[in-house]
Formats: sequence, structure tokens, C-alpha cells
Amino acid sequence: MADTRIEPAGAVAGAVAPEASERRFSWRITGRWVGITGLLAFLVAPIVPLFIWSISFRWFYPAILPTEYSARAWTEVITPHNDVLGVAWNTALIALVVTVFSILLGVPAGRALGLYEFRGKRLVEWMILAPIIVPGLAVVLGIHVLFIRAGLSNSIPGVILVHLVPTLPYMTLVMSGVFANYDTDFELQARSLGASRWATQLHITLPAIFPGVVVGALFAFIISWSQYVLTLLIGGGQVQTLPLLLFGFVRSDPAIAGALSVVFILPAVLVLLLSSRYLSGDNAAVGGIGNI
Amino acid sequence: MTQVTLSGLTKIFDEKSPPAVDQLNLEIESGKLTALLGPSGCGKTTTMKMIAGLLRPTSGDITFNGESILSIPPEDRGAVMVFQNYLLFPYMTIAENIGFGLKMRKVDRKEIRTRVTDMLDLVQLPGFEDRKPRQLSGGQQQRIALARALIVQPNVLLLDEPLSNLDAHLRDEMRELIRRIQTEMAITTVFVTHDQEEAVVLADRIALLFDGRLQQFDVPDAFFESPQSVEIAKFFGGTNFIPGHYEGGEITTAIGRFRAPRSAVDGGDAVLSIRPEAVTLGSDGGNSVMGRIRSHVYVGRYARFRVALGDIEVEAITDPAQVKLFNDGDEVPVRFDSNKIWVIGPASSQP
Amino acid sequence: MKWPEPVSRTRRLSRTSLSEKAAQRLTIALLLTPAILVILLLFMGGLITGFLRSLGYFPLIGLNDFNFAAYTTIFTDNGFIRSFILTFHIAFTSTLIASILAVASAMLLRPAFRGKRFVQFIFSLNLTIPHLVGAVGVLYLFSGSGLVSRLATGAGLIDSPAGFPAMVNDPWAIGIIIQYVWKEIPFIGVIVLAILLSVGEDYESVARSLGANRWQAFRNVTLPLIMPGVVSASVIVFAFTFGAFEIPWLLGSTFPKALPVLAFESYTDVDLAARPQAMAMAMVIAVMSSLMILAYMKVSRRYVRS
Repeated sequence: MADTRIEPAGAVAGAVAPEASERRFSWRITGRWVGITGLLAFLVAPIVPLFIWSISFRWFYPAILPTEYSARAWTEVITPHNDVLGVAWNTALIALVVTVFSILLGVPAGRALGLYEFRGKRLVEWMILAPIIVPGLAVVLGIHVLFIRAGLSNSIPGVILVHLVPTLPYMTLVMSGVFANYDTDFELQARSLGASRWATQLHITLPAIFPGVVVGALFAFIISWSQYVLTLLIGGGQVQTLPLLLFGFVRSDPAIAGALSVVFILPAVLVLLLSSRYLSGDNAAVGGIGNI
Repeated sequence: MTQVTLSGLTKIFDEKSPPAVDQLNLEIESGKLTALLGPSGCGKTTTMKMIAGLLRPTSGDITFNGESILSIPPEDRGAVMVFQNYLLFPYMTIAENIGFGLKMRKVDRKEIRTRVTDMLDLVQLPGFEDRKPRQLSGGQQQRIALARALIVQPNVLLLDEPLSNLDAHLRDEMRELIRRIQTEMAITTVFVTHDQEEAVVLADRIALLFDGRLQQFDVPDAFFESPQSVEIAKFFGGTNFIPGHYEGGEITTAIGRFRAPRSAVDGGDAVLSIRPEAVTLGSDGGNSVMGRIRSHVYVGRYARFRVALGDIEVEAITDPAQVKLFNDGDEVPVRFDSNKIWVIGPASSQP
Repeated sequence: MKWPEPVSRTRRLSRTSLSEKAAQRLTIALLLTPAILVILLLFMGGLITGFLRSLGYFPLIGLNDFNFAAYTTIFTDNGFIRSFILTFHIAFTSTLIASILAVASAMLLRPAFRGKRFVQFIFSLNLTIPHLVGAVGVLYLFSGSGLVSRLATGAGLIDSPAGFPAMVNDPWAIGIIIQYVWKEIPFIGVIVLAILLSVGEDYESVARSLGANRWQAFRNVTLPLIMPGVVSASVIVFAFTFGAFEIPWLLGSTFPKALPVLAFESYTDVDLAARPQAMAMAMVIAVMSSLMILAYMKVSRRYVRS
């Protein structure tokens, strides 16, 4: 009985399987491409109208594309007397300084957290992570009060300092992930082969952690570069950055807002192009964020 | 040529646990190959790292040719360590890896290139300059690690478990390479191993460590012929032990009295140790007792018998032809060669 | 503990120097101190100052007493409660949708396929685009006279901007959520993808060979493996979306307003009396987002373990 039931079932499966699996196979490929196309479309969609607006002259509802094009918005952006490029440079400078400080503070802290076990480690981890978990706005009002007293409000140093609040935790997090996968014996090996402390840091430690530093620095730069409310409050209108400028034009002049948005995206894209090989694949640094 | 002396060398990692290395005194001969042997966690790698300058001793001194080197940082000691897992710097080419030490010494680039080529020839991997470490097999990585250490012409070469990550056939090759290079260059070499066979085959002298303490420092055959304690004999394995009482060149045991001129103790409670190769079956006369054969194994090049002597069972390794002479259950005379008997202090007297 | 004075290299290597443990403790302290100092001064300082101010403590204008007036005021204000609910809705909905779509995207992008590098580039490109730019883009896409509305008109679905469903500055915060989902899919996705690639497909193959179908293998093997990463990333996303200011300021409705917008407006109000209330709101944002995140991590940890 049992035999006769298994026999035909096996035979049927054997006969049908190739065709069925082939059909399911192609379905999966199609499904994957539909999914990927949909994903890409969704990701790119909000950027499209910005580009179109930046070169439009007349674009009234219900026209799907502008009826007249013009370089007006771009001329306005580039004209020196509007100082858009000056503001952009200012924004980049602030972001660069913030990035450098994040590296200088975050790499050592990440090393301590990634390499060692010590009493109070959990506390330190929570303390460093707290600024990621507690929203910036909740803290910046109090910081503003402190900065007024310290004379740091309405100044670029004040803005740089307050930008460290969201960037430093990311940097530390990324670096602790990197150091958790790092073998310090490489440093001992280099010392043993004749490298001084300083040479070891330069030739051994730095290249090993470099991909992680790039990822962390990328995060830090972009967080600072796109910061709005912290700059608005601490800068008090005295420190002008690109996001503040952009906000002013969103409702009043979509063409200029579109052009400013493109300017706003560009440096980040450049940075990404330079560092994309560190972001993709199984870089431990990216996974490090998953280790809260 | 560098003679390394360790005196009272001690390393305490944690006050609550016993020292990792405890009052170690050792004279490592110039130009010789010395093994630090012991089970894992016995402090051998710690000792090596202290010689290399990668760990600071808690107390004691290390001298090279009589001069203390404790205040010299690792990069200036000329004691180069090769780690167990090779640690080739992954983002450097093979040439950059080998040349690393010379680059640190600010040697001219051209000179580095020629010497790297020489080194690759020496370790029999010519033409590997531009490869990356991950393209190499374990055995090849090990040779590169060795070349990287040798290129700086170290005073002392320190090898941490140099053969443990290799397959059996690569092991023999590597062993020969180390031996050949060491003899050619006459570098004082210390290597760490947990494998007694490896130590015996490769080393001129072996320092045996248990729990951070030196047990015996001797030439390899001494560990077989005259181990200083039962623990040492057991670590090298294969020996028969029979407890007894030693007096006047004779040891009295439960199965009889044996002449034993060689001993590590003067008298009193002791243990007779004899290696299975020195146990002869079927010949009576002096130093023999009757036994019953329990079991035997034919191995090819030799045969192994287990023989009951009263309540005690001993192992004998004999000529393979003897399997034809004796059957399990036979009563045979068993002789202990008196010159091969080694009397050790009782096991309990050892800490 | 005596703080050892800075010593030269030779002294440091000498016999009487620190024990191994003490030396390590010193190293750790030296590595951590700068970062902790910055965070203590700025973050903790800001939080404590905000807390004191929320209790009405403001010595400069002669307020030296502590009271809970600000908290009583905001908690009895119906508008505040509505804002709180709206803010929670924004954060929860965005995080949930973004997490699910991010895991799906990561699974889509895991195998090798032609053009993968390009797709991955676009994917991570999104990480670098500022939130504000995304918000402007969403505004120009989904407002009444936005691109989507124009396309719908062109297709004959509606005949005036008024016919287009309110998706921007709307009470359901649809525009805000779209923006967050758009921005956070790649953030969570990149993390999940990194974990997927490092874990490999072997566990799944084992599960399949043991009789699990594709979904079962994903549900029982892959998902538990990536869950810790998803939890961590979604915690960050939740915290961000709960406390972010500029997106609801641009895309949010006038009533109710998202909490951060409400707090910011109270703080910059010409009426100084509103400041303690602004600080109180900031404290509520801080405490509530931390509490919700802690609860979420507790619950999800249990889920991950079982």
C-alpha cells in the first residue's frame, strides 16, 4: 500500500518539477526587477521636480512640464552679490570642522569601547548613545541658554560645538564597530619589526581603520551639512547656512528653491562618490551602527 | 650573536590570580634554537612577549649579552616576534610587508627592494612581490612572516607556535626551513610550542614550563632519559611508572627489586620509570620478573604489548617479529634494562 | 587613586611602573575622556538646564522657585495632547513602514545581478541627501498643485488642485511620513544589507534543505539573524522622527502641530512666559522618546531571543 502511494507521487514530482521550477524561477526574476525598479523610482521621485523647477520659468498647474524654461534661478544662485556660494562654502567649512573634531574625539572613544571590557562600560555606551536617542530639539533649547551665558550663541564656534552633539555619537558608534573587529596584535607585530609608537599608528592602525573613519566622517559631514534647527537656534540668524537659505525660498520661489536644493545635494554626492567603495559590501563600519 | 638571560622574570596580570610567569631564570644560548614548551596557558607566549618588549615584566630582568634591555622600547630591541597567526598587514603587498621593518629604519628604497628579493629567494617564494596576503596559502603566509622578521637581521628571533597552523606535510617543510635559516644565519632563536614532538625535533634546548614556572631546561633527549619529575615524564608521555622505595642504587617495588644506578633522587620513596622500548620480553636474568601478556598490537615497524606484573600493567615496545613468539595469556619473563631505568621523586612531592 | 605624572618612555618601561590593569584603566580613561567631556557638557548640560528652566527656575529675571506650573499648563492643554498623539503617529508609522520596506529592499539587493553597483549607488545616495531637500521634493510632488496632482489631472482623474487628496500639511501627516519613509529606507536598508552579506546564505540553504519553504526560511532563519540590526536602526529612526523639527515645520498641518514645532514656537515666542512651557515640552519629548525606545528594545529583545 505504502509503496504504491509513494511511487506515483515521486514519478509525478519528477515529471513536473523541471517545468514548475523553471516557471517559478522566471517569476522570481521578474518580481525582483519590478521590485528594484519600483524602489529606484520611489527613491529618485522627490529629486525630479527639484531639477525641473530649477530650470523652469513658467510652470503653472496643470502643465506637467514647464511651458517656458530659463536659467534665471541658476543665475541668481551663482551671482556673487546674492552670496549663495559664500553661504555654501560657510556650510561646508562648518561641516568640515565638525567632521575633524568628530574624528579626533570619536576614534579614541570608539577604540576604548570596541577593544576593552571595563566596569561602567554600559554606562559610558548609553551616555554616548543618548544624543542619538534623545531628540536634538529637546536638548538644544537648554544648550541655547547655556551658550548665551558662555557667549557662544550667534557664533560659528557655537554652531560647530552644537553640531557635535548629533555627529559624535555616530562617529563613536561606527568606530567601536571597527575596533571590535580589529586585532591589536598587528600593532605589536609592527612594534616588534621596528616601528615606533607613532609609525605604528600611521602605518598600521590608520590604514586598518581607514574605511571605518571614512564612513563615520561621511555620516558626520552629512549630519552637520544638513543641520537645520540646531543652526537656526544657536546661530540666531547670524550664522547663515544652506538649509536656512533654502527654507526661505521653498514657498516664495520654487525655482530658486529647486536650484538651491541641487547645490545642497551636490557636495554630499561628491563625498559619496569618493567613498562609495567603503559604504557598500560587508564593511564592518556600516554594520557597527547595528550594534547599539 | 646575542645571549639572552632571564633572571627572576615575573609577570602578574591580575593580583587576584597566580602569576602568569613566576621567577623564571633562563640562559638562552647565543645562536642556538631554544624551545619554550608547555601546555596552553603556561606563560610561554607571555615570556616571549616580554623578551620582545611587547609586555612589561612585573619584576625580574632580561639581558642581552649581559645588558638589561628593559628600558629599550620594542622597536629598538632587535628582538623580532613572529606571531602565531602570521599577521601579514592585509592592505600591503608582500613586498611592502617584508620591507616594512627596513622602511621603519629609513633604509633606502632601492636597497629595500633588493633585500626583499633576496628574502623571497631565501624562503623559496621568488616573484611574490606584488601579491596580496589574502592570495597566499597558510604555509606561504608563514614564510612571508618569517622573511619579514629576518630581513631586519634581528639579534633574537621569536617564533610563536610557528608550525601549529600548518598541515602535517607543510610542517616538515617549514621545520626544515626554520632549521636551515637558523643555522645559516646563526640567529639566537626562541620558539614557543605546546607540542613536545615539535620541540624535540626542532630545538637545541627545551625549557619546559608548567603554570608559569620552569620545570626543566635541558637538551631534548634528557626529557626522555632523565626527566626531573613524574609530571615532566608524563608530559612527554609513553613511560611506565612503578612506585617504590629507593636505597643504595636499588629500588624496591610491589613486583620486585630492581637495580637502578641512574636517579634524580638520593633515596626514600620514589618512582621507577622506564620507557616501553627498554622493556624486554622473554629474557630472564638480572632485573627481571614474571608477567602475563594481556594484549598486543602489531604496528608494522614495531609491536606493542601490554603485560601484567602482579597488579601493575606495563607497556613494552618490541621488535615486530615477537608477535609470533608470544600469545595473549602467556607467562613470560620481563626484563628492565638497569641502565634505562630512571628513578624520580614521588609524584606527591611535586607542587 | 594617585594620578601618575606624565613620564618618559624609559620610565614607563621601568620595573616599578603601573600594574597591567591600572595601565589599561588609564588608557581607557584617556581615550574616553574627550568624547565624554563634550557629551557631558553639551548634552547633559543642555538637558539639565532645560529641566531647571522647565521648573520655572530663571534667576536672571528673578525666578528662584521651583514649580510645576509649566507642566500643568501643557498637560491640561488639549492642543498639546493632540500634538503628542500626532507626533507619536508620525514616528511610529514612519518607522514601521520604513523598517518593513528596508528589509524587503535589502533582500532584493542581496543577490548578485547586473547593474547591482548602480542600484546600490542610488540606494546609498539617498543617505547623503539632506532631509530638508527630500521634504521640498515631497512638497513639490504631493501638494495640491504638485507634480502628482498634475499627472492625475492629465490622466483625467481630477479636474482641479482641490480634487487632489490632501497629502501635504494634512492632519494625517501623510507628506511627513512619505518623506521619512523615503529617507529612512536606505538608512535601515544599508545596515540590514551589511548584516545579510556578512551572514551569508548558508543558514538559509540549510533551512531550505531541511524542508522550509522560501518564506519559512526567511521568517525563521534570516529574520532572527538581522533582527538586532533592524531593531537598532529603527530605534535611531524612531528617535529621529519623534524629535525632528524641520520636516513637520515644512510639511505639517497648522493644527495639531508636531511636538518639536510646538516647543520651538513656544521658545521663540515674544512672550517670555511661554519659555518654561517650551522647556517642559522639550523635557516631555526627551523623556517620552527615551521611554518608548527602552520599552521597544525590551520587547524586541525578548522577541529576538525566543
